[in-house]
Amino acid sequence: MPFNQKPQKFNAKINTVTVGTGDKAVTIGGNSTFPFYTFDAPTENRPKIGVEITDMGLDEFAPGIKAYYEGCTTMAEIAKKAAAMEGGDFVVLNLDGGDPNGVNKSTEELIAVVKEVAEAIDCPLVVEGCKNVEKDAELLPKVAEALQGRNVIVMSEKEENYKAIGAAAGLAYNQIVGAESADDINLAKQLNVVTTQLGVDAKKIVMNVGTATVGYGYEYVVSTMDRIKGAALSQNDNMLQMPIITPVSSETWGVKESVATEEDMPEWGSEDERGINMEVMTAAADLAAGSDAVILRHPQSVKTIAKMIDALV
Amino acid sequence: MLINRIFSGNDAVYGLTEKAVNDAVQQHGADKAVGFPHTAYCLPCYYAVTGVKIKTLGELQAALSVVKSLMTREHALEDALMSGVATALCAEFIEALKYLDGAEPYQEPCYGHLPDSIIRELGVPLVTGDIPGVAVILGSAPTAQEGVDLIKSYQAQGILVTLVGGIIDQAQELGLKMGYNLRIVPLGKDVTSVIHVVSVALRAALIFGNVTPGDAASLLTYTKDRVPAFVNAFKPVDDVILAAGAGAIKLGFPVISNEDENIAEVPGALIACPNVADFNKVSLEARGIKIKITKVDIPVAFASAFEGEIIRRKDMRVEFDGSRVDCVELVQTKEMNEVEDHKITVVGPEVDSFEPGSKHSLAYVVEVAGKKMQPDFEPVIERKFHNYINCIEGVYHTGQRDMFRIRISNDAFAAGFRARHFGEVLYTQVKNEFEAVVDKCQVTVYTDPAECTRIRHEVAIPTFDKRDARLETLTDESVDVYYSCILCQAFSPSHVCVVTPERLGLCGAVSWLDAKATNELDPNGPCQIITKERPIDVNLGSYEDVDEAVKKYSQGALEHVTLYSIMQDPMTSCGCFECICGIEPFSNGVVIANREYAGMTPLGMTFSEMASMTGGGVQTPGFMGHGKHFISSKKFMKAEGGIERIVWMPKELKETVAERLNRTAKELYGIDNFTDMVGDETVATDPEVLVAFLTEHNHPALSMDPMM
Amino acid sequence: MALNGIQIFKLTPKKNCKECGCPTCMAFSMKVAQGAMKIEQCPHMSEDALASLSEATAPPMKTIKIGTGAEELTLGGETVLFRHEKTFVNKSRYAVELCTCMDDAAVDAKLAEIPKVDYDRIGERMYAELVYVNCDAEATADKYTALVQKAAALGRTMILGCSDPEIAKAALEVCKDNKPVLNGANASNYEAMNAVATAAGVVLGVSGKDLNELYDTTAALEKLGNKNLVLDVTGADVKETFGNAVQVRRAALKDQDRTFGYPSIVNLAKIAGGDYHLQAALAAVFTMKYGSIIVMERMTYAEALPLYGLRQNVFTDPQKPMRVEPGIYPMNGADENSLVVTTVDFALTYFLVSGELERSGVPLNLVINDAGGLSVLTSWAAGKFSGNSISAFFKENVEPKVKSRRLVIPGKVAVLKGDLEAKLPGWEIIVGPREAVQLVKFLKDLDA
Repeated sequence: MPFNQKPQKFNAKINTVTVGTGDKAVTIGGNSTFPFYTFDAPTENRPKIGVEITDMGLDEFAPGIKAYYEGCTTMAEIAKKAAAMEGGDFVVLNLDGGDPNGVNKSTEELIAVVKEVAEAIDCPLVVEGCKNVEKDAELLPKVAEALQGRNVIVMSEKEENYKAIGAAAGLAYNQIVGAESADDINLAKQLNVVTTQLGVDAKKIVMNVGTATVGYGYEYVVSTMDRIKGAALSQNDNMLQMPIITPVSSETWGVKESVATEEDMPEWGSEDERGINMEVMTAAADLAAGSDAVILRHPQSVKTIAKMIDALV
Repeated sequence: MLINRIFSGNDAVYGLTEKAVNDAVQQHGADKAVGFPHTAYCLPCYYAVTGVKIKTLGELQAALSVVKSLMTREHALEDALMSGVATALCAEFIEALKYLDGAEPYQEPCYGHLPDSIIRELGVPLVTGDIPGVAVILGSAPTAQEGVDLIKSYQAQGILVTLVGGIIDQAQELGLKMGYNLRIVPLGKDVTSVIHVVSVALRAALIFGNVTPGDAASLLTYTKDRVPAFVNAFKPVDDVILAAGAGAIKLGFPVISNEDENIAEVPGALIACPNVADFNKVSLEARGIKIKITKVDIPVAFASAFEGEIIRRKDMRVEFDGSRVDCVELVQTKEMNEVEDHKITVVGPEVDSFEPGSKHSLAYVVEVAGKKMQPDFEPVIERKFHNYINCIEGVYHTGQRDMFRIRISNDAFAAGFRARHFGEVLYTQVKNEFEAVVDKCQVTVYTDPAECTRIRHEVAIPTFDKRDARLETLTDESVDVYYSCILCQAFSPSHVCVVTPERLGLCGAVSWLDAKATNELDPNGPCQIITKERPIDVNLGSYEDVDEAVKKYSQGALEHVTLYSIMQDPMTSCGCFECICGIEPFSNGVVIANREYAGMTPLGMTFSEMASMTGGGVQTPGFMGHGKHFISSKKFMKAEGGIERIVWMPKELKETVAERLNRTAKELYGIDNFTDMVGDETVATDPEVLVAFLTEHNHPALSMDPMM
Repeated sequence: MALNGIQIFKLTPKKNCKECGCPTCMAFSMKVAQGAMKIEQCPHMSEDALASLSEATAPPMKTIKIGTGAEELTLGGETVLFRHEKTFVNKSRYAVELCTCMDDAAVDAKLAEIPKVDYDRIGERMYAELVYVNCDAEATADKYTALVQKAAALGRTMILGCSDPEIAKAALEVCKDNKPVLNGANASNYEAMNAVATAAGVVLGVSGKDLNELYDTTAALEKLGNKNLVLDVTGADVKETFGNAVQVRRAALKDQDRTFGYPSIVNLAKIAGGDYHLQAALAAVFTMKYGSIIVMERMTYAEALPLYGLRQNVFTDPQKPMRVEPGIYPMNGADENSLVVTTVDFALTYFLVSGELERSGVPLNLVINDAGGLSVLTSWAAGKFSGNSISAFFKENVEPKVKSRRLVIPGKVAVLKGDLEAKLPGWEIIVGPREAVQLVKFLKDLDA
C-alpha cells in the first residue's frame, strides 16, 4: 500500500507585486502554497533577494562586505557594484543616516543620495527609512516624489506615520508601499486595512511584518509569518495577502555574534564566517517561514541564499 | 428666490463664456491648442466631471453643449446645484482662454492655475491632517483688518487659505505676507479664478482617490468626504457668486457668508453668519474640521515620565483631599450648542490665595459634545483622568470619582501652575485621545467649597448612581450587539473573547462598555462588533453570528463557541484570565480558583496546572477561564444550571465575591447565604472531604442533573 | 480525533486512588488528554476502556529516545505543524558527520574540532549532540568498527550510517550500550537490519528511494513488531528532501497517518556536501520545518551561534516566554560605581535592551529582575514587577555588590518612581525611555 499523498490546495494566493520597470523589473508573491511546498503546487515566483547599501557609504559595513566594494568612492559606484552582485535581484537603499538620534542628515542631503543611487542603476530599487517615525514621515514622501516613474518600494510605513507615507508613496507618486509592523498578525492586518482605506491599492502594498536575528526573539517572527500565511491562504484574508519582504541584514549585522572581532573572541573563529552565517541562517529561516523577499548585504550570503532558493523551487 | 438667483447667475456666466469661446475660435481657429500649464489633466475640472480631455479650442466649443445640458431649469435645489457645477465649468473655460499661446496671465502675488506637483505635495498633509482644511475666501471683508484677522486665524490652525477678489488687495494693504509656503495662496482677482482651487480638489480626487474621470458620483463623494474645503463669501454676494457657490455646495463645501439681503439659508450648506469674527468657528463646525492640539499649554512639563512622581507633604503647596472635603471629577455629555470648545472656567479662588500646606475642595467637570459621543463613554474618559493629572510635573493624583486626592508641589506652584491648568490638561488630553467621539470640550474647575459640595452631591453622585443603575440593567438580552476582543492574541494566537454586558473579558479588564468605547475610538482595533441576530440555542448562548466572528478573528482555529456553557464549546482562554473554573465530578459541580491562590484544589490540580491545560486559545470542555466579576453573573455557566454549580472557591475569592454572589443566588434560587454552602481550602482540598461538607450543608449541586 | 479530558475521565474508575501519582482521576485524565501521561499508567483501567482509549489517546507521532544517561535525547512526539498552534516539544538535534572515506588526519581533525563548541545560552547547553558515522561502500567491518570506536571516545551519541547488516552488527558490538541509532534499513535489507537493531536494542533508521518505498518499508518493519524507528527522509536533492520532510510530518500530524509518525533524519552532507554555507542555510530551513536529526559536515561556532539561537527560539513554548536569569549584568566595562539600569527577565526584552545598551557604549550595570518572564507592562500589571519586588531584589542582590545609587527604570513603569524612592532609600530613581531604541540617546543625554 503506497503512501497516500494529500496535497494541500488553497483557493487563495499571495498578491503579485512587480517592482521596478522595464526588463529588470522583478515580481514577488503570487504563490498559493506555504513556502517551498512545490509538492502542493508549483512555485509561481521564486523569492527574491535585495542587496542593501546605506547612505552612510561603507563606513558601517563589516570588513568582509567592505572588501566587495573596494575601490568604490561615491554612492553611485557603490550602487552599481551592489546591482552587479551575483544572486541579487534588486538594490535596497537604507537611509539610516537620517536618524535624528544618530547622524541626523537633512532630508535634502538624503534625497540627493537617493537620486544619485537611482540614476546609477537600472534594476529595481527599494528605499528604507531611518527608523524614526517623524523623520520618515517627512523624508519618505520626498523619496517617493524624487523617484517618480521608477515604481520603487518605499519601506518603513508604520502605524504612526502611515498617512504621510501611504498617501505619498501609494497615491501621489504611484510607488509601492512597504507596510511595517512588529511581529503581530493583527497589527500587520490593521496597518493594511488603514492603508487601503487611504485609497492605496492593496496590490501596491508589501509587508515587513517584523524581523529579528535568529536567537533574538526570532520565535515571534516565525509565528507571525506562519499565521499570516495561514490566514492569507486558508482563510482567504485579502488584508493579509500582501507579499512579505524582510530586511535581514540591518538586524543580523548588529548583534555581537556578527560584530565581535576575532581578537575579542578568539574561540569563536573567523568574524566574516560568523557574520555570513548569522545572515544566511536568518534569511533561510525567514524564507522558510514565509518571506517573499529578503534583504541582505554580504556577497557570500546573497550567493548562498540564491543557491538555496534555486535548490528548493 | 435663491434658486432663481442661481439660475440667473449661471445664465450670465454661460453667456459670457459662450461669447468668449466663440470669439477665440474665430480669432485663433478651432485647431488652436488650449490648456493649463503643468497638468496632465487637460482642463482638469471638465475632465474630472465628464472624462473628456479638451485640447483645442474646437473641442472647447463642442464642450459648451455639454455644459448647457447641465443647466436644467426645473425649480428644484438639485437643478440649482447642477447649474452651480455648470458655472464652475464655465469659469474654467474662461480661465483657460487666459492661458492661450503660453501666456502668463497672473502676476505676483496671484497664482492662478496651480500645477499638478503642488497637488501631489498638498495631498499628503491633507491626508495626514497636517493641513486640516482648505478655506476659500472670496470678495472683500467689511474692513481690511477683519479680513486679515480671519486669514491669520486659519493660518494659525494650519488651514490652507486661498483668496479670490478684493481680499487680496486688503491683505496687501496691511502688508500680510502671502505665498504657498505660508499656506496663503491668492488665486486671482476675477471671481472665475476660484476655479483654480476647485481644480485642486478635483485633481486630488483623481490622484489620491483613484476616481475614474467621468465618474461624477464618485468624484462628488470624494470631494465631500475627503476634501475638507469650505467657502467664506463676503457680501455683497451677487448672482454670479451665488451660482459659483452652488457649485461649491454640490462638491460638499459649505458656503458661509455675512450677506443678509436676498438670500436664504440652506442648512449645513449655505450658512449666514453676520459677524466675520465668527466665520472661523462656524466654518470649522460646518465642515466638521477638528484642529489637532500638539502642546499642552501649562507652565510645567507634561509627560508620562512624571506618572510615578510622589509629592511628599513637605514638598507640597496645597492638597485637595476627597476623603476629607468634597472633591469630584466628572465627565458630562452635552449638546453641541451647549459647549464652547476650549472654554476653561475657574469658579472660586485660585491656588495663590490658599495657605501653603492647606487642604481644599476641588471639583472639575469636563463637558463634552460630539456627533458620536454617548453617555456610556463618560466613565471610560473619566478613568483616564488619573493618568492625565499624574503626568503633570509636580502634581500627584490618586483615587477616582469623588474619592481622589491631588497634591501640587511647591516647585510646580513656583513655576506658575494653577487650578486653571487642570482645565488645560484635561481639555487637551480629552480632545486628543478621544478625538473620534469628542468634537467640543469645555472644562469648569471649582475651588469654591460650596460649589464643590453642590457639584458633588447634586450633580456627580446622581450621575454615578444613574451609571451604576445603567450597568445593572445592561443584560445580554437588552443589547443588540456584543464585541470581540483580541487584545491578547500576541500571546495566545487563536483566542477570541466575546464580551457581553454580563460577561466581561476573562482578564477582568474589558467590560462591554469598554469594548464598545474601544470600538468607537479605534474602528479597526482589537474590539469589533458582533451581531446576535441569528441565535442557534439561546440557553447555551450560541449564535451563528458569534461563531462566524470567532472563526474570523481566530483565523479559522475555532468554529463554535457558546457563551453560557463550560461543557459544550466553551469560550477559549488566553492565559491572562483572573480565574479558572473546572468541573468537579464527585460533587457534580465546579471548582473555581483565582490566580492569586497557590494551593491545591479538590480537583487535584492547582491554578497553574489548570491554567496550563486551559490557556492558549484551546477549547477544553469542563474548564474555562473567566473574570472575577463573572462569578456572580446570572449567565455564569447558565446552560449547566448557573451559579448553583459552584462547590468550592479559595476563601479569599469567596469573600471578595460573596455579597454579589449571594444576591444572585437569592434572586435566582431563593437561597440565602449561598457562599456558606461553598467549600474552601479551610474545609477541603480533596473531593471526598468536600462532598461530605457539601452533603452536610445540603448544597444544591448534589441533587442536580449530572454534568457529564 | 484526540479525546478531551472529560471523555477520558468517563472511562476511568473514578476512585481517586492516587496510584498513578495524580491526586484525582480528573487530574489524571486531563494530563492524558494533554499527552503528558499515558493511559496505561492507570492501574485500574478496565480492558475494554484501555483498548478503546489507547488507540484514541496514542500520540500521532511517536517519541523516540536515543543515547543513554546524560546523553539521552528525546526525538519526535510533536502534535502540531506550527508552533503557534500549541508548541514544539522536542528540538532538532545536530550531528557532525565522520566517514570511512576520510583519511585519519581528517578524522582526527574533525574529532578535535567537535568538542570545541560547547557553551551555555540562556540556561541551555549548546553543543553537537550527535556524531554521524558513515560507512561508505568500500569499507570493511574492521575499518568501520575502528572508526566507530574512535568516534565513541567523544562520548556523544552516535548514528551509524550503515546498510550492511554484517558490518552494522560488528560495529554495534562495540557501542550498543550507548544506544546509538542504526541508520541503514531499506526496502532490500530491512528484515536483516531489523534483526540486528532489535538484537542490539537500538533505534533503527529507515530510508527509501521515494516516499512510497519509505512508507512501505516502515509499514513492513512495524509489521515485524518494530516501532522504535526514525525515518531518513534525505532524497536525491534538496528539493526532494524538503518535500519528504514536510510530507512525512504532515501526513502524521494532519492526516493522522501513523506509519509516518516517527522522527526524521535529514542528511545535509549528502545533499549539500562541500558547501558549508549552503548547509548552514539548509540547517536553518530544516530546523524550522521538521528535521529531528540534521546531519552536517561541520559544527564550528560560525554554524553554532546562529543555529542554536534559532533552535532555542523555535522550540520555546509560545505561552511560556523565554526567560533570562535574574542578576547583575555589567556592560561596556562597568564597575561597581557605574549607573544601574533595570528591566524584566523576559528574554525578548532583555535582548532588545541589552543590545541598545551595548550600542550606547556607556558603562553600566544591567539588573534583571525576576518578573516571571513577562514583558514590562504585562509583569507590572500582574504585580510581578512592582515597587515591592524590585526593591526586595535590589536590597538582597544589588546593594551588597554595587555602590552606585542611580537607577534607571523603564519608561513604561514611570508610575513606580515614587514607590521606589520610598522603598529604596538613598537611590536616585530616573525614568528611562519607553522604548529600547531610545536608550542610546537617553544615555547620551543623561551624562551630557
